[in-house]
Amino acid sequence: MFKSIFFFTTLTSLTLSTPLFGQTLPTAGDIYNFSEESKVYTKMIDIPLNTMEGNFHLSDLYAQKPIIMALVFTRCTGICSPFLLQLHDHLRSLDNKRKFSVLVVSFDPKDSLSEMQSLAARFQLQNNKQWIFATTPQIDSLKTAIDFYPTWDSTTAQFDHEALLVGINENGYIGKKLLGMRDERALLSLIKEINNEFVFSYPLPAKNTIFSCFTYDPATGKKKPSLGLLILLLPAIITLSLLLWLGSRKPKLN
Amino acid sequence: MPTLSFKRITSAWIITILVLFVLAISFGITMRFNQGRDIDISPVTFYSLMTVHGLTMIGIWAVAGMAAVNYLLARYVKVSTSLNVFAFVLTVVGVVILWVVGFIGKFHAGWTFLYPLPFRVAWEEWATLWFLIGLTVLGVGWLVWSVGMIMQILKKYTLGQSFAWQHFTKKHDVAVETPPFILITMVSIIGILISLITAVILLVLFYAEYFSNGTFTNDPLLMKNLTYFFGHTIANEALYLGLATLYELLPEVSGRPKFKTTWYVAVGWNCTMVFVLTAFFHHLYMDFVQPYGFQLVGQFASYFASIPSAAVTIVSVIVLIYGNKIKWSLTNILFFLGLVGWIIGGVGALIDATISNNIILHNTLWVPAHFHTYNVMGNVLFSLAFFVWAANQFAGTDSKNISKAQLVKLSILVIGGFGFVLMFYIAGAYSVPRRYALYPEEFTSAAILASAGAWFALAYLIAILLLLGNIVSKCLKVFSSSQPSPLSH
Ligand code: HEM
Repeated sequence: MFKSIFFFTTLTSLTLSTPLFGQTLPTAGDIYNFSEESKVYTKMIDIPLNTMEGNFHLSDLYAQKPIIMALVFTRCTGICSPFLLQLHDHLRSLDNKRKFSVLVVSFDPKDSLSEMQSLAARFQLQNNKQWIFATTPQIDSLKTAIDFYPTWDSTTAQFDHEALLVGINENGYIGKKLLGMRDERALLSLIKEINNEFVFSYPLPAKNTIFSCFTYDPATGKKKPSLGLLILLLPAIITLSLLLWLGSRKPKLN
Repeated sequence: MPTLSFKRITSAWIITILVLFVLAISFGITMRFNQGRDIDISPVTFYSLMTVHGLTMIGIWAVAGMAAVNYLLARYVKVSTSLNVFAFVLTVVGVVILWVVGFIGKFHAGWTFLYPLPFRVAWEEWATLWFLIGLTVLGVGWLVWSVGMIMQILKKYTLGQSFAWQHFTKKHDVAVETPPFILITMVSIIGILISLITAVILLVLFYAEYFSNGTFTNDPLLMKNLTYFFGHTIANEALYLGLATLYELLPEVSGRPKFKTTWYVAVGWNCTMVFVLTAFFHHLYMDFVQPYGFQLVGQFASYFASIPSAAVTIVSVIVLIYGNKIKWSLTNILFFLGLVGWIIGGVGALIDATISNNIILHNTLWVPAHFHTYNVMGNVLFSLAFFVWAANQFAGTDSKNISKAQLVKLSILVIGGFGFVLMFYIAGAYSVPRRYALYPEEFTSAAILASAGAWFALAYLIAILLLLGNIVSKCLKVFSSSQPSPLSH
């Protein structure tokens, strides 16, 4: 009998080991190059800021309150205005009691403080204490610190850039980045993150994930048990069947 | 009765396990000194050491229990030497692969290799696949070994008798007695078998994703459940195998009558068999997508899996010792100390398995604290007790009363072992996180505690080395002898 077990095992091991070569797996570089994830949990560089209230360092601001940093330039004819407008709207409708400031920084070296001030006025935010409009002499360091690289397009005389929000917590660490025009829920999770609240996250099941433990119905918000849970029962079922089969033979003691 | 060849293979297990143990302890000490900033190793080296250390330790003490019960099983049923040799060969091959993967391939996803970490390649590209192959080799070897042992038991006992179920029927058949050793061995090997089948399913899912070229993705929650179903169960069942040897040998070496399977012993161990299988849910308290009901099952199964068997064992051992003249030898002192370590570690585990505490203790050093206690000062000592006893059997020597020199060695072992885990407990209580190569400066006392832990562990290692020489030299004798020794059963 043990001979047959041995044979079976050897065969299984050999079968398993034949197609084993020549596979390539993604490397760490392939996986971690999503720009929304890069630089998250790293400490922000302490850049100097020029604002209407005076000159500060970034650390002077985040030491008081966590910061949502938005990156724009004043001559922007593209995404900057809708981006700021939407941010403003979302923040108003979220009516959030959590503490934070919104720091709008220009990444264009040509922008002056008065131009930033006019931008604030355009959104009627010049007297809003929560919003700070600023320029910095260290734009390049800022861009490296947050992995944000706008490119100058000379034909349109515009920067080609993403809409980027960077959440910085009270210790100066980047807690979350949001790329693009995002909904209120995403913004709320950024605000929670920089206020050190636990933010639930779970990768969405892909189409090729056959064995999920639960299926989630976004319409009802309910979870239903799924095929994966059956797999969890398999080891016990297999063992039980094996035992019943082995136990059905008559032992010598009786 | 074990044959000479069976003694030889058991001897080979003992020597191999002890050599690997010494090396794995040195890896542990290196990690702790690094955390204490006494030495400086790179993070990759730290995590490779951590992975190899965890895998080796869990593996060797599981097979130590298996080899011990297999040896003692020969007293009750017919055992197979070729099966044992087969398991040994596959174990050695598996360990070699995993060490190569860890040290040359720099694979460092931790001993739990939690999905999707093995696919986030931060090491040699071949290492992931060979890691899975190494585990497959071990899994196949141990799976066949477990099934073989269950078959051997069921050739003599019915399924019901092997679980002592006759105690639960009205017309209790007293003519059929299930020795506690058979009951506990059966309960533990069934658990090991279930955990190994879980490992096979887990590996199949890993291979499926690996070879699917992106057409198949695993569900992280399912993979985490499977990982801890396997990992938690095998680590715990290894301990129960140690207890099986305690039930068999402690009365014998203490000069007392054998333990009997009473109804409460049967209840205790049957509870363990059922509940230990669902206790692993306590590893997923932080997984908010897991329904709350599962978390509660995890908490209560943790209580019911350990408390009945612990209570029954403690009562049995107290009855054995209390008011009786005991011949204290190295073997029964090791068993007794192991029991103390198991209980202390078990209390630490139950504190952590309680949901309201786990919110604070989760992934802090409290976790290595409790599992190192019931391993370093529990299961390891059960197996060492067996090794000392078996070595005496092989060499044909009798287990003598404990000598002064042995008492000194044991004292160093106790101070070193408990000191080492105490540093983990204190750090855990201060919320120092586990699996950090270097601690952030905010944890002001973490490095000092790590350094102290390393020195205590060094003392423990010295004690092990002092005990080991005698065991190994006696074990080696069995390879030169051609006759069964006069004292062997
Ligand atoms: C004196 C002997 C030992 C020393 C010095 C030692 C040291 C260590 C250290 C420093 C860690 C890393 C802790 C962390 O920061 O998370 C660790 C982890 C671990 N140890 Fe030990 N250990 C010893 C004995 C054992 C024994 C006997 C076992 C099991 C039977 C064991 C199993 C493990 C496991 C499973 C891990 C977790 C590895 C991982 O997280 O992937 N150790 N040990």
